[in-house]
Amino acid sequence: MATSTQTQSPLLPYGVGRFGAGWGVVFLLFLVLLAVGLYGYSRQLIEGEGVTGLRDVGTMGGAPWGLYIAFELWFVGIGFGAMMLVAAARLAHIDLLKPLVRTMCVIALATLFIGGWSIIVDLGQPVRAVVNIIKYARPMSPFFGTFTIGLVAAFAATLVYLFLDGRRDAAILARRPSRWSWLHRLAASGYTDTEVEKHRRRRSSALLAGALLVVAIVAASTSGFVFGIQQGRPGWFGALQAPGFVVLAMLTGTAATVIVAASLRSGLGEKEALGSRVFTLLNTVMLVASLVYIYFIVVEIITSSYSSSLADQRVTDALLTGEYAWMFWLSAALFIVGAALSIFRATASRSSIWLVVVAAIAIIIGALLKRYLLVVPPLTTGRLLPYADGSYSPTWVEYAVVGGLISLGVLFFMIFMKLFPILGLNDREENV
Amino acid sequence: MTRLGMVIDLEKCVGCRACMVACKVENNTPESAFWMYVFRLEDGEYPESRVSFLPRPCQHCDNAPCVKVCPVGARYTRDHGIVVTDWDRCIGCRYCEVACPYGVNYFNYKKPKELQYLNWENPDVEVHSQGEVPPYKNPVLAGKFGPEQRKVAGGGHTKGVMEKCTFCVHRVDSGLDPACVVNCPVGALIFGDLEDPESPASRAIADKPAYRLLEERDTRPKVRYIGAPVSSTAREIERPKVRN
Repeated sequence: MATSTQTQSPLLPYGVGRFGAGWGVVFLLFLVLLAVGLYGYSRQLIEGEGVTGLRDVGTMGGAPWGLYIAFELWFVGIGFGAMMLVAAARLAHIDLLKPLVRTMCVIALATLFIGGWSIIVDLGQPVRAVVNIIKYARPMSPFFGTFTIGLVAAFAATLVYLFLDGRRDAAILARRPSRWSWLHRLAASGYTDTEVEKHRRRRSSALLAGALLVVAIVAASTSGFVFGIQQGRPGWFGALQAPGFVVLAMLTGTAATVIVAASLRSGLGEKEALGSRVFTLLNTVMLVASLVYIYFIVVEIITSSYSSSLADQRVTDALLTGEYAWMFWLSAALFIVGAALSIFRATASRSSIWLVVVAAIAIIIGALLKRYLLVVPPLTTGRLLPYADGSYSPTWVEYAVVGGLISLGVLFFMIFMKLFPILGLNDREENV
Repeated sequence: MTRLGMVIDLEKCVGCRACMVACKVENNTPESAFWMYVFRLEDGEYPESRVSFLPRPCQHCDNAPCVKVCPVGARYTRDHGIVVTDWDRCIGCRYCEVACPYGVNYFNYKKPKELQYLNWENPDVEVHSQGEVPPYKNPVLAGKFGPEQRKVAGGGHTKGVMEKCTFCVHRVDSGLDPACVVNCPVGALIFGDLEDPESPASRAIADKPAYRLLEERDTRPKVRYIGAPVSSTAREIERPKVRN
């Protein structure tokens, strides 16, 4: 049994504390990408957002929101989805997901962190924003909700859950001699595996899981409200935006978990803790969520096709047959392929993990395209006064900054993996 | 209570765009920013085509979507109904811009120096300007206005903040009409208190049917139009795509 072998080994489990050459090369690669992103952002800070492809709607014929906001929605959606899975695993006592709870917490933390930065890099006055958002807070603005509930509350709640859930494992690791034992002692913060403590841990994690679920749903909905309550922009206003965001969050959070879990299974050789049944379960979640989301897309398109507003029709035409048609249909195809693969996997006699992974990759790319399509076309083609159609092409600065943000998330994940076990230790493992 | 608004008589407007120029000069607006813009529109095909003009300042809505979404209260409605941006508080999220159906917001994407029509550091310009301060350092527009004492006029066009038509708040606070109104050669733009039946604006719409742009959006603008509404099939003659 892999886990029991690890407990007998003097080495810390799951590669904690061992910085191999392969890890170092990958780390360096992402560090370089982060540096390129930082350089791009420094140009933007010095020169202004004129170095991006963003421009004003109206006479300037541009899009004031673009790649940064599309990626922000994508990042935080993954984070909220991972939070929902963590909560579901605890509240529904899904033992299969137990080893992955910490992984999902770290996915959520990493994506919420870079999601927050995606908003910061989009702002014209980022330093002033940090002060003014607190000093002059207007809770009735959905943007404020995105900042507070969406990011701070979600991040804080996940961090606390990660801490509480990980105290026992940290205490186990702290007993083993290593250069990181001080950190594990700190994370264990005096945990003793007594019955009273176990009971407290169970209760607090259940309560917190409930809070995580509520925060994730509210936060995902708030992101939806940023668009769904806007009458001024054709293609945005609608009651389906908030639930659409929740479902897509669930879908992308699960897809990201599948991809990371498959990488860990392959990289760490964890074929037992991350067995086929785990992927079967995640596949089922993906299947249901993708079918619901495809249904949402169909409803959205049918409704907007019958809109009496010419501007709404223009946005729909741009998506279905116009400038953005290739992206829309590619996105739709990716969702359909993802759902089809999930159905095939669910009904196949032989269970392939890679089928689930391919479905997850298709879905997560489809979701990114969908986010771009939500943000950009209503800004460039959704004109209500007789302005000419606009256009938007991201510049190298935007690509570099987004690449840097993704690198930041990956580096966060890689560092965490080397400090704490990325998978939960077996409950039967040694007493603390 | 005073509600300052503007009446635009499309039957009088000749599309000369003097109001656009006056706005630019008065507020030193950067390149590509048109706080006042005049659509020159064409509808139908020659010889059955019809040309029309539509001046478009900020609509200063009573139910302003831009005010609702601002996360820090930088965009707000003053006591007299003028919707302004406190550029000293604005964080540059551009949510007001995406929420506005009229496309009246202009973000400062570059440094003020780089957004001027003239290079004020060019020695030739210095000779001709005879020591005038560059427009982006205009102390009049950079001051605080109204009882709330906030920086709401044109300002220095700081990089990374949102700006738009202020109804020339710095002039209005001194009892003057906005620059576009004063400079219109045919009197197509009329400014005044919409609550006062004796104001020029109220008198202009007293016996003529007036309408507001995009009434179905329920933004309730304080800019009223007189004359035939623009056809939904009208297109811009020049189709400018001005980018800085």
